[in-house]
Amino acid sequence: MARIGLWGRIGIIILVLFALLIVGRLLFPLPEMPHIELAAEGLFSIFGFPITNTMLAAWLTILVLGGVSYAATRKMKIVPKGLQNIVEALLVMLINFVEDVAGKEYGRKFFPVIATIFIFVIANAWLALLPGFMFIGIGEEQVPLLRGANTDINFPLALALVSFVFVEYWGLRSQGFFRYVRKFLNVGGLFRGIGQLFRGKIRGGLSAILTGVIEAFTGFIEIISELVRIVSLTIRLFGNMTAGELLILMMLFLIPWVAVIPFYGLELFIGFVQALIFGGLTLVFLVIAVTPREEHE
Amino acid sequence: MDVETMKVLAAALAIGLGAQGPAIAIGILASGAMQALGRNPEARGPIMTNMILAIAFAEAIAIYALIVAIILIFVA
Repeated sequence: MARIGLWGRIGIIILVLFALLIVGRLLFPLPEMPHIELAAEGLFSIFGFPITNTMLAAWLTILVLGGVSYAATRKMKIVPKGLQNIVEALLVMLINFVEDVAGKEYGRKFFPVIATIFIFVIANAWLALLPGFMFIGIGEEQVPLLRGANTDINFPLALALVSFVFVEYWGLRSQGFFRYVRKFLNVGGLFRGIGQLFRGKIRGGLSAILTGVIEAFTGFIEIISELVRIVSLTIRLFGNMTAGELLILMMLFLIPWVAVIPFYGLELFIGFVQALIFGGLTLVFLVIAVTPREEHE
Repeated sequence: MDVETMKVLAAALAIGLGAQGPAIAIGILASGAMQALGRNPEARGPIMTNMILAIAFAEAIAIYALIVAIILIFVA
């Protein structure tokens, strides 16, 4: 075969891509409009409890993760080899990340939950890119059999609730009930001001009441921000993953086979970043919750 | 205008206007990261990581707008 220059190679690649495009169009005619449904669709129900396609995908993820963990830890050695080596290296990277943010002492305690969130989200996101997801329909209406679990709003919501409960638990446990609750219900200054007012110190009392009202209001804002975290975590993960899924569907529909490949790369990256953000935000909230407030009396 | 037209228009406006803020935010973020990179090229790794994290936060707002647009078109 004769030597082909750089431009010749690029030309050949473009020609092959166009050929794939035309062959794809001819061999696999696409439906008029891709099937788009925001809510997860039920496949069948057991005792009136609907089993949805996202639920199947989540169980598949659990099976895959469990299988990998089992295979990696079946024959554990002091000097790891093969799969055990890979898994250990990844876990060490994760634990370094957690300890960088939370410090040595809390890092070890927070690591299991953060790592679980990170690994589960990233596995869900990456498994959903495999062929077979979204494209195998069953039943009369061709409901997709498998669909990435991140694209069902109930899954991010459940994770966000887990993260919320864990953050509040560690806040209560590390700082004690009264000190932690004072962050949200800070009315001490207000009552002190009223007391001073009754004792006849009008000026000092009024200014103390003013700061007391501001402190109580800050506590109220803290409650709101704590609750808004749940919504924001949920919508961020759900939105990113759903948008990615729709993007891939649309690209497959517009130009089959070729145009979609860069977007698969993008989705790999976005899955990683979103998993990192979900885990990292939970970690940051935990660190904020266990850090004692500076006292200024 | 009938309801269908309004829906399509509302979806387009939602994502169109909702993308403005994050676009500006990402521009500012990237500009800051470039300046930091110019002053301290050795800190490439941490700057890159933190820039991507912050960009993902800004991008989340565009995603909210996208969700609204998707809901308007496919659900409502």
